[in-house]
Amino acid sequence: MKSILRIAALVLLVLGFAPASRAQDASGTQRAAPWSKEVVDLAARLPVQDGGRVKPLHTYASYLLLRLNHKRSVATPAGEKLGPVEWLLDVLYYPQAAEEYAAFMIDDVEAARAIGIVVDEKKKRDRYSFHELRPGVGKLFELANEYQKIEEKDRSTVQQQVFLLAMNVNDFMRVLTHMDLARTKIPIGAGAGLAQIFAGAEEAAFSQVLDRVPQLRDLQAKLGRDPANAAEAKEVGKVLHAAADLTSGTESLALLPATGTLAADPAWHTPADLMTLALRDGVVDAKHIQMLNAIEGMARSGADQTAFERELARFSGVVVPIAERRGEYAKVGLEVTYHRLDLLSYAQVGFILAFVLAAVLWLRPKSRVLFGLTTLAVLVPTVLVTIAIVIRCMIRDRPPVSTLYETLLFVTATGALTALIAEFFTKQKVALSAAAVLGMIGLFVANGYEMLDKRDTMPTLVAVLDTNFWLATHVTAITIGYSAGMVAALLASIYLITKAVGFRRAEPSFHHGLGRMVYGVLCFGLIFSTVGTILGGIWANESWGRFWGWDPKENGALLICLSQLVMLHARMGGLIREHGLCMAAAFGGTVIGFSWFGVNLLGVGLHSYGFTSGIHTALWSYYGVQWGIVALGGLTWMLERARANARREAASGAGLSAAQEPAS
Amino acid sequence: MKPVLDAIVKVFSSLWLSVTLLVFLALLTWLGTLEQVHTGLYEVQRKYFDSLFLVHQAGSVPIPLPGARLVMIVLFVNLLLGGIVRLRKGWATAGVLVTHIGIVMLLVAGLVKAWYAVEGHVTLYEGEKANTFESYQRWEVAIAEDLGGGRVREFVAQEEAFQDATGAAPASFAPAALPFEVQLGRFQKNCRVLPNGPMFEAPTPVIDGAFLQPAPADTQVEQNVAGLYATLVEKQGGARHEGILWGREAQPWTVEVGGKRWAVELRRERHPMPFTIALGDFVKEDHPRIDMPKSFSSDVSVTEGASTRPVRISMNEPLRAGGLVVYQSSWGPADAPPGTPLFSTLAVVANPADQYPLYACIVIAIGLSMHFSRKLARHVRSEAKKS
Repeated sequence: MKSILRIAALVLLVLGFAPASRAQDASGTQRAAPWSKEVVDLAARLPVQDGGRVKPLHTYASYLLLRLNHKRSVATPAGEKLGPVEWLLDVLYYPQAAEEYAAFMIDDVEAARAIGIVVDEKKKRDRYSFHELRPGVGKLFELANEYQKIEEKDRSTVQQQVFLLAMNVNDFMRVLTHMDLARTKIPIGAGAGLAQIFAGAEEAAFSQVLDRVPQLRDLQAKLGRDPANAAEAKEVGKVLHAAADLTSGTESLALLPATGTLAADPAWHTPADLMTLALRDGVVDAKHIQMLNAIEGMARSGADQTAFERELARFSGVVVPIAERRGEYAKVGLEVTYHRLDLLSYAQVGFILAFVLAAVLWLRPKSRVLFGLTTLAVLVPTVLVTIAIVIRCMIRDRPPVSTLYETLLFVTATGALTALIAEFFTKQKVALSAAAVLGMIGLFVANGYEMLDKRDTMPTLVAVLDTNFWLATHVTAITIGYSAGMVAALLASIYLITKAVGFRRAEPSFHHGLGRMVYGVLCFGLIFSTVGTILGGIWANESWGRFWGWDPKENGALLICLSQLVMLHARMGGLIREHGLCMAAAFGGTVIGFSWFGVNLLGVGLHSYGFTSGIHTALWSYYGVQWGIVALGGLTWMLERARANARREAASGAGLSAAQEPAS
Repeated sequence: MKPVLDAIVKVFSSLWLSVTLLVFLALLTWLGTLEQVHTGLYEVQRKYFDSLFLVHQAGSVPIPLPGARLVMIVLFVNLLLGGIVRLRKGWATAGVLVTHIGIVMLLVAGLVKAWYAVEGHVTLYEGEKANTFESYQRWEVAIAEDLGGGRVREFVAQEEAFQDATGAAPASFAPAALPFEVQLGRFQKNCRVLPNGPMFEAPTPVIDGAFLQPAPADTQVEQNVAGLYATLVEKQGGARHEGILWGREAQPWTVEVGGKRWAVELRRERHPMPFTIALGDFVKEDHPRIDMPKSFSSDVSVTEGASTRPVRISMNEPLRAGGLVVYQSSWGPADAPPGTPLFSTLAVVANPADQYPLYACIVIAIGLSMHFSRKLARHVRSEAKKS
């Protein structure tokens, strides 16, 4: 967790207590025209090191804006809609204008009131500009420091809102002030040595000062030897201090690649790092000076977008070849393409359309055209999700699943595919509908998860997960097991609901076919759940020295295997039949829900990966729905049994042969 | 007799018993998972998974349940009788048979591990070496005799010898070579040594102004620090020497008996390794610009007899030697500033069934694939016939 305490100084800077060295060039405080496509494209593809990996600036901007604004766009007061890159460019180069954008979503107005911000026209849940929040920033960090000491689960809603707002404001302020160094000229005091170093200039850009830090340090040392030179030595100190001061607060945006090899020097730099290197080690790299010079050129270009684009291209022209040489740029373009294609949004629309078509198909089951359209409507989004997963694998050089978010995508794709295969075998149109429902819900949950977490969905992995072999085998197998279990639960739920409402009561083959499908999918799931669980144990044995440790996530996987074994053995032993199997499979969905997400909410164990707070309600809603369906199934069974008994009694009264009692 | 035996075999090989046992195992797994939030893994493992019987508290209602160990033993018998011995043999059941054999292998692996495996750790700073490893949670009392010339002879009482002596009645430890009997009592799994103040009545005996203050067991079992009261009773003359042993004491308790000095200490159980391991270099690498470990590894040298070889132990890359497996487990101090010497903790496991699960997994995968692909093929054929 970030230290709120560290940002106190930054708060003062932004609140208008900036030192003289930060007096900014007032020209170009408003952008004259929308950012050109060329500028946005070039900026989107700039590499930045964030969260332990090199990613496009587009991704960085996208998740920063998502955290602040709860969506990936923002509207200016003039009504212009900005995407994440345009917004970030404004924050960096037109900070005064960007302060006016309502880019901070506050879910509860009480959080704003708690920091002393009262804006009458605001709704309970509304957006605020930084300008509106500014008077309360001091109070905001004071409260956040206090609330940081309270465990997250014990914080009230308002306390949590205040805490999150402080995090967001902190992140925003760091970006807002990042380019101060590019906008600001550092005054050069009097003195022969300074005049010689700066060729008589009265002020210098940050890059010029940084370039001359070794000379300035030498001069300072030389002047320091003679008290008669104290005045000039002080001037030299002022220049260095002013330059160092400009870099404070720039630590969060590492746009400047290290010029060495990746192995020797993996960390990228911020201006603050470069200043430290120059002051501490006397090291200044000409490439970094070129980069900073281009950044300053962008700030100088004011309203001239052609000049801005030229300087941006110059910056990119220095940075990108270095990143390429270090092997860190190869996937940047692909990642921008992935985000821009937004395949998952299209897939979601496709699944919704498929769901609607499937609903109509149930009303017109004989329509071949409708069947064909529904199949296509399921197939297309399934392919889109699959392509998205493949692109993610290519970007990350990882198997399909390595985060909780990716389990959602993978379960959606494999679940829809499993249902489509089941449809191919059964041709009852039920599995086709199930594929549409599963796809729609799966992507809805995946999107909800991303919105809730608001962090990069392609994070770096902790040491123990850094193994593609086990991710490809154990994790993939387990996730296919989740997928099959969910499909079985869904099909079983359809079985129970349709039976309860008497749908196709005259056609027993409909429900028999559905029951067989549930059984088949369960069998398929059992293979992957069992093998995946044991592979997990083998991985644990390789990593931690024990095959089984009764860790909650391991137990969750075991519960899935055990529940499926119970179902299949009970069916084999005649303890349950078709209806009972469907009740058990519908219940099995909650076992999977518990294993997949529920155990992460317990807050104990070794598998503490993935963000899970906030999904509590969704999970319990799912449990409630499934248990309700199981109860409905039980009720239906009892009613059928009562009816059969009545028929049997009536038949025996009439001297006829007894009706067969339905088994569970 | 035969009908009774047949009936027993029938019960123990029945499918309903399989289902009942699987339901119980699932129930215990679920309860044990939820319980971990409150009591920690070690206690849960002891209560739910390593037990024959237990009483689960559902609020204020006590529910007696069979423990997972009992369930798994019966399941093992059920699987052998019903799933292998009495299973109708033929192509139709070949996959099921193979799967059941794989499950049996897995259960055997579990049983072998439960009975024979020893687990612990070696924690070393760079430049240090060790030829023993320590248990995470088990304790032992060691009595060292100074033989002169730097040689020491140790007498060790393992935790089984005194773990039940939690009250005033002590357990006795009296090897013939010792000139005294060691009485160990009031054993506490977690406690602190406190000085006895004038206005305070100590709950346990006060020795040299100090007493053992029992503390609730920590949910992280390795955080517990045990303590006990030790009395050395000289075999000749019956003189008594009383002392307190505490697991985190920096120095052992020293006593002079029979003209010799004896050092007595309570420490984590130690196990010898068939080699000496020396830590040369510990490397912890974070992902750039964030505090997330990318990798950590220990460059060690392993000396067996006269030969020494360098080995790198890292996450997912353990060292296997001399029947032991040595894993990169953790490191510390966690909040050490840059430049501070770090230590590396290597987990050590001696498990004769180390690789059994891998073989079992392969067998089970083959079995399930055989069974269900046969079923699928049959289903496809019947559908094809229908159409």
